[in-house]
Amino acid sequence: MSEYSKDFTLQEIMAVAAAREIRDYEKVIIGTGLPLLGAMLALRTHAPNMVAIYESGTIEARPLKTPFSVADACLVPGAAMQGGLIEGLGIVHAGDLDVGFLGGAQIDRFGNLNAHVIGDYYHPEVRFAGSGGSNDIGAGCQRTIIMMLHQKRRFKETVDFITTPGYLTGGKSREKMGYPGKGPAVVVSTLGILRFHPETKEMYLESYHPVTDLATVKANTGWDLKIADDVRETVPPTVEEIRILREELDPTGIFLKKT
Amino acid sequence: MRKSKVMSAKEAVSQFIGDGMTVMIGGFFHAISYALTHEIIRQNKKHLTICQSSFNDHADLLIGAGCVDRIISSYVWMEVFGPLYCFRRAMEKGIPHQVLMEDYSNFAMTARFLAGALGIPYIPLNSLKGSDMMTHSQWMGDQKVKLMEDPFGSGYSHALVPALKPEIGYLHAQRADEEGNVQMWGILGDGPWSLRACEKVIVSVEQIVSRETIGRDPNRTILPAYKVVAVVEEPFGAHPKNTQGYYDVDRDFIFHYIRMAQKENTWKEFMDEWVYGVADRSEYIAKFISRYGYRKFAGLKAKDMPSGSINYGY
Repeated sequence: MSEYSKDFTLQEIMAVAAAREIRDYEKVIIGTGLPLLGAMLALRTHAPNMVAIYESGTIEARPLKTPFSVADACLVPGAAMQGGLIEGLGIVHAGDLDVGFLGGAQIDRFGNLNAHVIGDYYHPEVRFAGSGGSNDIGAGCQRTIIMMLHQKRRFKETVDFITTPGYLTGGKSREKMGYPGKGPAVVVSTLGILRFHPETKEMYLESYHPVTDLATVKANTGWDLKIADDVRETVPPTVEEIRILREELDPTGIFLKKT
Repeated sequence: MRKSKVMSAKEAVSQFIGDGMTVMIGGFFHAISYALTHEIIRQNKKHLTICQSSFNDHADLLIGAGCVDRIISSYVWMEVFGPLYCFRRAMEKGIPHQVLMEDYSNFAMTARFLAGALGIPYIPLNSLKGSDMMTHSQWMGDQKVKLMEDPFGSGYSHALVPALKPEIGYLHAQRADEEGNVQMWGILGDGPWSLRACEKVIVSVEQIVSRETIGRDPNRTILPAYKVVAVVEEPFGAHPKNTQGYYDVDRDFIFHYIRMAQKENTWKEFMDEWVYGVADRSEYIAKFISRYGYRKFAGLKAKDMPSGSINYGY
């Protein structure tokens, strides 16, 4: 096994954790920022046959540089197919894709996400972007990878608005809805990696990042977070993974600001 | 010879966009007409309902300028560039006035246009159900979305969303002929369906080309001329966004806008300079070059990456 990096940042360990969730040959719809870096890292390491799909209708993108947005013009030349939203999100809606990335302002223990408001929907304290493709990706992709800042005000007992259903009220409640996709597989947070119990569908901590500890993760979660019996430290990024991220994918530090 | 629909942005907006209309703004990051958006603001159109699958800073300009009463969309934000402050001020504080939004998902919006374009009254979805968008409506009430059990027996219920048929829509594309046969390539966004859903369409283009040029590559046409009421030639008409094959996105300008929009007074300064302070798109381009230099302007120009030509012969 390769040598582990000793000077990685939180953003870098998140991008690496996201990359490790992707398997070779999978069809993956990619958002901007860390998911994009994670997916591109997977493509350059263990998943060279991954098919990169963007909401904007780009299928099997092979950009010559790291795209800045999901509709970056550099995604178009070299792609296997370029359409519009009906093509990009239509295949998500049909249940064709293996993996999608999600994020949001708030998440609850069943992986329900809020990307709309803080406070009351009709009189918001803070108004955010809204769903965009998030709700469609959450319903349609076979599994989703959620990336979140791990703070108590974001990991909430109840979210202020459900933009994208995760496992709803847990147990079989999602299954009964008949979405094409099976729901969130993992939450990659700034503090750790969390998964969902196969029966109850409640989130639990699988590992905490080397920079933190169990008590910190619990203190930053808005409910009594369950912990895996074999909880451990997150496997750190390798030197090679960090090199690819810094030198090849984000040489000007647009996404990976030093933290 | 059919009638030419070529006119200026000023004429097109004054003739076809009226106060209180439902206006579809086409594109997805790519292919958004800033030329026509600025003209709508200069003509101070009011009480518009604007709709698009996902909105960026062009919506922020319209909202800040007080043109918009209602938004139908899935998204109003500037991606990784940052938040849109006029949108937030309107939604959180009612500045310059209260704006209402009907929230859908990106695919639900596009599907509403698809239904509109196909002339079907509604369309069922796999997404949207289970979210709070099902139960929260600003003005459409129970006409926003309905949950219906599959009459063909899958055993599941689906969200039905109504067809969206805007009175008028507009888009920026690479080229059209004088009659309005529109050709576009690159990221098509909510087009072509959003355009086909509209009763009428105004198109701004980088270049007006001949009908013969259109006919040499008819698979590239996203909208035939019969719904198009105006063709406006506006090179650089999507700046600060891109037009594939013509120029790339101007990230510096977008970051500049977001910084200026943080406060109302600096937002007004931006608008006075770039929207109210110029008469039309050619003054805007001249201003851009005098402000940032020809090198910056030329630096946005797209590299040559031509497709090979194909044979349409028979």
